[in-house]
Amino acid sequence: MKSKILFFVLFILSSMFTFGKGREIKFTEFDLQNGLHVILHEDHTTPIVAIVTVYHVGSKNENPQRTGFAHFFEHLMFEGSKYIKRGQFDKIMENAGGTNNATTSQDRTLYYDILPSNQLELGLWVESERMLHLKIDSVGVETQRKVVKEERRQRYDNQPYGSLFEEVFKRAYKKHPYRWVPIGSVQYIDKATIDEFMDFYHHYYVPNNATLVIAGDINPKKTKEMIKKYFAGIPRGKYKIKQPQIVEPPQTQEIRDTVYDKIQLPMVIYAYHMPALGTPDYYAMDMLTTLLSRGESSRLKKELVDKQQKAVNSGAFVYPLEDPGLAMIYSIANAGVKANELDSLMQVEIEKVKNNLISKHELEKIRNQVETDFVKQNSTVNGVASNLATYHVLYKNTNLINKEIDRYMKVTREDIKRVADKYLRNENRVVLYYLPKKN
Amino acid sequence: MKIKIILIVLLTLTVQTLFAQVDRSKMPKAGPAPEIKLGNYQTFTLDNGLKVIVVENHKLPEVTFRMEIVKDPILEKDHAGYIDIAGQLLKTGTKNRTKDQIDEEIDFMGASLYTSGQSIYGSSLTKHFPKLMDIISDIILHPDFKQEQLDKIKKKMISNLKAAKEQPNAIANNLRKVLFYGKDHPYGELVTEETVKSVTLDMCKNYYENYFRPNIALLALVGDINVKEAKSLVTKLLAGWQKKEVPNFKYKTPKKPLVRKVAIVDRPTSVQSVVMVGYPVILKKGSEDVIKANVMNSILGGPFSSRLNHNLRETHGYTYGARSVLASDRFVGYFNAACTVRNSVTDSSIAEILKEMKRIRNEEVSDDELTQIKNYLTGSFARSLERPQTIATFALNIEKYNLPKDYYKTYLKKLNSVTKSDIKAMAKKYIKPNNSYVMVVGKADEVAGKLKRFSISGKVDYYDMYGNKYDPSVKNLPPGVTIESVLQKYIDAIGGKENLLKVKDKTSVVEGGTQGMNIKITIEQKAPNKLYQVVDFGTGQQKTIFNGEKAKVVAMGQERELKGDRLEQLKIQSNLYLPLEYKKYGITPELAGMEKVDGKDAFKVVLKTKSGKNWVQYYDKDSGLKVKEQFTISVPQGSFTQTTKFGDYREVNGVKYPFKLTQSMGPQSIELKVKSLKVNTGLSDSIFDIK
Repeated sequence: MKSKILFFVLFILSSMFTFGKGREIKFTEFDLQNGLHVILHEDHTTPIVAIVTVYHVGSKNENPQRTGFAHFFEHLMFEGSKYIKRGQFDKIMENAGGTNNATTSQDRTLYYDILPSNQLELGLWVESERMLHLKIDSVGVETQRKVVKEERRQRYDNQPYGSLFEEVFKRAYKKHPYRWVPIGSVQYIDKATIDEFMDFYHHYYVPNNATLVIAGDINPKKTKEMIKKYFAGIPRGKYKIKQPQIVEPPQTQEIRDTVYDKIQLPMVIYAYHMPALGTPDYYAMDMLTTLLSRGESSRLKKELVDKQQKAVNSGAFVYPLEDPGLAMIYSIANAGVKANELDSLMQVEIEKVKNNLISKHELEKIRNQVETDFVKQNSTVNGVASNLATYHVLYKNTNLINKEIDRYMKVTREDIKRVADKYLRNENRVVLYYLPKKN
Repeated sequence: MKIKIILIVLLTLTVQTLFAQVDRSKMPKAGPAPEIKLGNYQTFTLDNGLKVIVVENHKLPEVTFRMEIVKDPILEKDHAGYIDIAGQLLKTGTKNRTKDQIDEEIDFMGASLYTSGQSIYGSSLTKHFPKLMDIISDIILHPDFKQEQLDKIKKKMISNLKAAKEQPNAIANNLRKVLFYGKDHPYGELVTEETVKSVTLDMCKNYYENYFRPNIALLALVGDINVKEAKSLVTKLLAGWQKKEVPNFKYKTPKKPLVRKVAIVDRPTSVQSVVMVGYPVILKKGSEDVIKANVMNSILGGPFSSRLNHNLRETHGYTYGARSVLASDRFVGYFNAACTVRNSVTDSSIAEILKEMKRIRNEEVSDDELTQIKNYLTGSFARSLERPQTIATFALNIEKYNLPKDYYKTYLKKLNSVTKSDIKAMAKKYIKPNNSYVMVVGKADEVAGKLKRFSISGKVDYYDMYGNKYDPSVKNLPPGVTIESVLQKYIDAIGGKENLLKVKDKTSVVEGGTQGMNIKITIEQKAPNKLYQVVDFGTGQQKTIFNGEKAKVVAMGQERELKGDRLEQLKIQSNLYLPLEYKKYGITPELAGMEKVDGKDAFKVVLKTKSGKNWVQYYDKDSGLKVKEQFTISVPQGSFTQTTKFGDYREVNGVKYPFKLTQSMGPQSIELKVKSLKVNTGLSDSIFDIK
């Protein structure tokens, strides 16, 4: 009876704020006493359920002598627990008709399971087991060391431009742990001990540092009971969790460098420092990069790719990060085009947004594009669950899943010119040329 | 007030949980299985033959347009790529709109639009959909292909083809296509810079004229739209599309290799090998085997826990992931098991893949394994239904492949009736480890040698990135190098013709050991080609005497005259001036390419004799000195290759001789060192007499 009241109250709280365009995502959220934050979203369209668990730990929490640790640890979370034997984790999920995986970013580690809705309890058991009882042994650690090295080679070392983010971030940041990327440096993979892993586990993989989202074909009341059954008994962590307080000092001089890679076509990339995700200027910068690169009519694609045919591709995007991040603008040369040619053409486009207000028509266009993306981002229950978790953990506002669009719509033409002036300055950027390595 | 209520509630909840007992050791049981419902779709056909499928789903305010042209594949031959280019040209202008206008209108709606040679895909929010349809119908009905746009597309494609040269997976795909289907099959022909350059506007126009026709097109409208709206939009905008008879084509069916072959694309910069084991397969879409065969392949290489991934990733740590595909197709499908592994375990990974392929053929799968995979596939099916596009895909497949109308409705039933013996039968039929291509894209220097064991012929075939076979040794020759230049450089390197001709006789003592046995060889040679050689094993001696015409061997008290091949060989090899006199013996030296000898580049020279007995020499690219020689010796037991490597060149009277020789035959090898070497000591002719 009383829990119904709670449900009702939260329902009102969350629905009060939702009058955005498109489909409204209704959800309820609450904390368990051990600090685990829970978000539920009911959607009976398909008899499946998505379980997303986000731990607020990523590569920025790593010791600089152990880069890649958080991602490596993510692999170990699939090893086993007190009641799940090594190697059984994925089997159990697949045997239940589910699928699962995980990703590690600079800021958080996200695990997801998508299961038939009658297997929800199994999913909760598995997720609670690895939050409470993770078990790792030297065989598992040694195997995953090899696997992670192969992952690094396959995705970064053996791919053209695969080292891009690593090369950009290590130059853009001098102090902040964003100076390395989640895959980390290969030389540290062999170093960490099991004790270090368990220490990391007890520090960060605790309910008070986690958010659990269940979306899909659920009965919220029963789901809540099940969550309590499996998670309420998990003790709160003993450590005080602190996010890094390192403030990257402002960059005062343009950094220019060249990377020689196994590529055929040169690439030029600009990376500008910009504010953290969720800040007003973040939205203006996101709109600005949309203007530059979304669709064939966007400024970079129309000018560099279509009209002048100097690039096979050109684009711009913001890299959303919890602490101040980067906006990147890049072009890959058409055959025979030199990197410095691209560089000057890109610079022309930067000067245009700094010197002239964008047209009303352009603003209308990028608003329509943002709106379309916003509507589409919630097309699957796993997408909804991941978004809910991300908005809660990194944006500290779950209901942005319905309301973030308003922040975009507040951005004016003047804002876009202002952020261009403020952030797209030469001394605020890293310029990298990727050039073909000579044999 | 409200906050207080929450507090009380939370308190009560906590108290309850304190008493809740969970037995964590037991895996929770599943609840009653939910019903898996397939969404419905409706169809209608326009008078021009355009068949339209409508999948109504109002979850999101969005509609997509998916159109496919269903025709036989076309062999593009020397102009491969023109169909793709024609597809790209579609959205670069109509009689009513320029490319800039199309781009601007699409982007202004936040919509997306893609065109290819056999499909058009567009998507937008519901409110913009009529406008999007208007643009699409303009593209279909009134395209205007322009030279300027063709040139742009070609330029970009050529750049992208250049970029693909550094993409190991793109290279692997090329190799796979060429080997599986052959370049004379539409599935096996490759687009290259040359073929793209040759594409003309007329080819693209003709393609559009002949094949972009409603009577072979299928259109699915998916999302926030109902049949009535769909019908009125499509009729209004596409009824004017003219139908036309479309030609059909037949092709020879590609076959598996008769025996297992090994193919490599050398990518010297690779830090990993892309490894594949596969072959073409006849598995027609919708045929009776498809579901059973898919269950079998899923056990082998489907989900994360499948055998291949479990073995190669979780047990051995060779790779980030290993999977296999058994693809059914309207015409010809394929099997392919693939992973990316570090160079040093390339051969071990292939061995494990072949092992798993054999295992699934020879051993029955367990009950647990079968149940598990069925559960997994049932779950995948249920999950896929979340997207309305899945229903559209099902409907399109039913039309394209002539499947029974209830093919997908009865899928789960068919899946669940698959038995263990079905799995074994499917494995026997479709998994062919001995008729496969073992394919590697990687650093040949490090990996190719160890791949020979997988090839029935013992050979590794080299391909370039466009699937053209080549002899690896020829490929690497620097420009300007000829057989004459290689041989001249050698003579210069050892001291020059003049100094060489000054040598009238030569006496050397060579020592070495193998398997605890010491050998001492004394060699006396006199111009032009007399030889007296004593090999002392410690336990006995073997003498070879050659007077320039006849030869005999004395060993263990027995005497034997040498004839045939061995005699011919002696005649030639005993010649002190051989490098200057190949012609005299009818030997034609040929430059066969460049290979590595002990990690250094060396020119490979084949000496062809009149008798057809060739031998091979290697000359170091930098020093010009001879570093290796190979003979194939035929004896009654079979033929053996004897390899000699030369090193430690030292000068004696103006001519350089190797003071270190390493001889090997099969697994045995012996290292020989020159202890003394003298020239022009005035050897008497009588030493070489044969009675």
